[in-house]
Amino acid sequence: MAGIYVYSDKKEFVPELISLAVAAGKPAFVITYSQETAREIIGYGAEKIYVLKGESVLAENYAKATAEFLQSEAADLFVVGATPRGRDIAARVAGYLDCAMVSDITTIKCTGEVIETERSIYGGAVVQTEILDGFSVVTIPAGKFEATAFRATSGSTDEIETISVKADTRVSVVSRVPISKDGVNLKDAEKVVCIGLGMDKEEDIQMARELARIIGAEIACTRGIAEENHWLPVSSVIGISGAVIKAKLYLGMGVSGQIQHVYGIREAKIIVAVDSNKNAPIFKAADYGIVGDMYEIVPLLTAALK
Amino acid sequence: MSKIVVCYKWVVDEADIRIDVSSVDTTKARRKISDYDRNAIEAGVQAASSVNGKAVGLTFGTSAARQSIKDALSRGLEEGFYVNAEEAATADGTVTAKALAAAVNKINDVKMVICAEGASDTFARQTAPRIGAILDWPVITSVCKMEFSGNKLTAVRKMDDCQETVTAELPLVVAVLPEINAAPIPGLRAVMAAGKKTVTEFKSEELKIDFAPKARITGLKGYVMSRKNIVFDEGDAGEKVSQLVTALKKEGVL
Amino acid sequence: MSEADKYDAIVIGAGPAGAACAYTLGKAGKEVLVIERANTPGAKNVTGGRLYTYALEMIDEGLSENAVLERKVTHEQIMMLSGNRAISIDYFDPAFNNEGSPPQSYTILRARFDEWFAGKAEEMGAMVVCGIKVDDLIEKDGKIVGVIAGEDEMYADVVVAADGVNSFMAQKAGLIEDIPAHSVGIGVKEVIELSSKIIEDRFNLKENEGAARMILGCTEGIHGGGFLYTNKDSISLGAVFMPEEIAKHGKSVHEIFQELKMHPAIYPLLEGGQTVEYGAHLVSEDGYRGIPHKLYREGLLVVGDAAGFVINTGSSIRGIDLAMLSGLAAAKAIIAATDTSKVGPAYLKELENVKLLPTMKSVEGYKDVLDIPRLYTNYPNLAGDVFAQLFMVDGQVPPSMKKAIKSLIKKNGLSMLQLLKDGLKGVKAV
Repeated sequence: MAGIYVYSDKKEFVPELISLAVAAGKPAFVITYSQETAREIIGYGAEKIYVLKGESVLAENYAKATAEFLQSEAADLFVVGATPRGRDIAARVAGYLDCAMVSDITTIKCTGEVIETERSIYGGAVVQTEILDGFSVVTIPAGKFEATAFRATSGSTDEIETISVKADTRVSVVSRVPISKDGVNLKDAEKVVCIGLGMDKEEDIQMARELARIIGAEIACTRGIAEENHWLPVSSVIGISGAVIKAKLYLGMGVSGQIQHVYGIREAKIIVAVDSNKNAPIFKAADYGIVGDMYEIVPLLTAALK
Repeated sequence: MSKIVVCYKWVVDEADIRIDVSSVDTTKARRKISDYDRNAIEAGVQAASSVNGKAVGLTFGTSAARQSIKDALSRGLEEGFYVNAEEAATADGTVTAKALAAAVNKINDVKMVICAEGASDTFARQTAPRIGAILDWPVITSVCKMEFSGNKLTAVRKMDDCQETVTAELPLVVAVLPEINAAPIPGLRAVMAAGKKTVTEFKSEELKIDFAPKARITGLKGYVMSRKNIVFDEGDAGEKVSQLVTALKKEGVL
Repeated sequence: MSEADKYDAIVIGAGPAGAACAYTLGKAGKEVLVIERANTPGAKNVTGGRLYTYALEMIDEGLSENAVLERKVTHEQIMMLSGNRAISIDYFDPAFNNEGSPPQSYTILRARFDEWFAGKAEEMGAMVVCGIKVDDLIEKDGKIVGVIAGEDEMYADVVVAADGVNSFMAQKAGLIEDIPAHSVGIGVKEVIELSSKIIEDRFNLKENEGAARMILGCTEGIHGGGFLYTNKDSISLGAVFMPEEIAKHGKSVHEIFQELKMHPAIYPLLEGGQTVEYGAHLVSEDGYRGIPHKLYREGLLVVGDAAGFVINTGSSIRGIDLAMLSGLAAAKAIIAATDTSKVGPAYLKELENVKLLPTMKSVEGYKDVLDIPRLYTNYPNLAGDVFAQLFMVDGQVPPSMKKAIKSLIKKNGLSMLQLLKDGLKGVKAV
């Protein structure tokens, strides 16, 4: 049936995707490949939760079946949570159905039959607006939509409908090793202290940790610190290939402010920069800045806040 | 000899783009092979040697993309394939994948198609899975390691919450992350040899596909950060720090 | 040619000297390999600047016609700045621009020109490889027999070092030592984009016409000068400074250059423009006296800026045309020689034939004039004061010009004697 079909391999993501559909004024349908997941997302406002049941444990193997299903239902739009798995499935569906797909959208507008999307390109420097023709697929990163918890009493397992499908069998899973999250969750951090390549040596991170401890902030870094210097894990990276933060306060020290990093801090309430180069791009992206030697400034700042 | 096709993209060097609030000017920008495609090319070259095959390059672009071929061939690819189409200028993900898949069908004995996860300009991450769907071949994305054994590929995928090892039989399509291997800088002889390698060109009519994009770009504008831009530069370090602290307290973030 | 063979010549650097050499060699059917370290020829090169077309015509007749050039120079200008004041001389000569022969000179942009010129060398059969740095020379039995780039070795009968000012190759070959600081100047330059119409309006030019300007008195007393060239839709503005004096001065090159841009006689020319390029480069300042004693050894020739072939007469700075002539001379020597030991002497002879060495010798004395420190503050200020006096009408009884000038001379820390001495020095030098 026509409407907006949503999918995410992360069930906590699904409610906000449903909200997107509801906000667009269209009926929302959820697609999942697991009975369990289906039961956990009833009552969030979806008209129906379709469980496409097959033999494979690998979600990506359901791409073709999903495409065929969407086609048979004459769906209007397929919205997928942007995760590595989500993007893979979404693109395959788009390939099977020969339709438009926009990845990592920042906004979407559905007026009648017309779908208009916005996304960032060129490392975050440019915003591109597109109009999509006919049935389309979009992926959207988490956190763009407030999940309106419907949790109404009318939520019931009647929402769930199970459909048997044939999963692709050509790719099999040998093993899965969960990545240990070091407990750093930058996406939810209220305050962030970030170090950049302006820092001289690894031991100096201690200075940043001191400040972070005093103000109750998480430690983060730019891509170079993690991928070139290996001073911090990749999960600490803020930027277009890392975390996007929504903190109240971001303080960068020795961060030059390259556009790919700034992409990750744009939604912070207040951005503060400390750097020795007065021409560093970070100052154009900051609310407050001090041009100076961070080895002088940061300890003074820490002391002032004790 | 079986072929491993590595798809690469000729993109605008984002450092050269002139951006302001209302317009984006790429006309004066230099072009380059997308950064992550260089890693993909090396991955293809290494994979070819594992399966006793031949790594070849494939690109879809306007006539301007011809300059990219020598660069690509200097990186260890043995042959170049080039879909030369003015339609590439307005192509969206749908068209690009169709054109590349159609070209792959015209190349003999392709056992594998490798793409980078995403291009450095748009980073949409659609190409490999789309090509896989069009060819109806198995697809493996987010690959950071590959191992071949006969006709079987074992690939390690770096997902957001786990590391997943999967296997599949060739032919298939793979999207690789930059971490799969470094992209070595070509040496003198490699650059010199590039000019002598075969390049096959496909014209748009030969591919028999619909070049009409399904997503139309209606606007490009620079992302403008409008922040307060207050820089404390009066007084000594201590004075600047106390001015900052005052301001932050006032903002209510401390 | 198989890998075991060697090239007739390997040219290091695809700038004007290297490209001219490769073009000429290719045209004569020789196998030549050009190795350029930038990703495209010209990307690492900086010029004021302009090109004198006679050099292109000497490489091959008709070459200037298809060259990628900016504007033909019809206005030669000299400007002297003193405080907020400016004195300008504009020499306009239609004869620089006769129908039937190529105009005498064109303003150029190196990225465009060098790429075109290296492309012409390729058309003549040279193989041009970019993005590769030559790390060292290969020596065997006291002769240079090839080059090393990364892990690759390449062999040739002759290696031509066209790798620019402060040539590493010439140093590796033992022909020069590291350049002393007073032999080079630091040049900084900006390319400022403006529509061609605005440029033509501001400089009073017709379409395709251009102005070339030397500026004195813009370097805060430091030995040096400025320049301005009009390109098709941009202006090249820059200045050259003696590094030793900058160190003593206190202000940075960048700061002084920004002040030049803001000068009331300069700023209106740039207003509304957008800086699209900022470059800096070393430039040889010693002229004939800066040419290395040995320009060759067996298996190696040094050409262009690497050989110090740059002359500065104050009113004109020439490097590109001399670079091309030297590339041509090197090629001719390689083509004619029957034995690698004869190439070096033949090269020197060709440098005489193309009149490069005689030209440089004839202007050798200009360095003595340009070394006069008063040229950079006292004289421009004196000129400014004299003109101010000349044009002053304030209702007072005008003083006698003779008396006024005498007092102005004194005011500017000069004396008649000093003026005479400097004048004599100038006359002797030229």
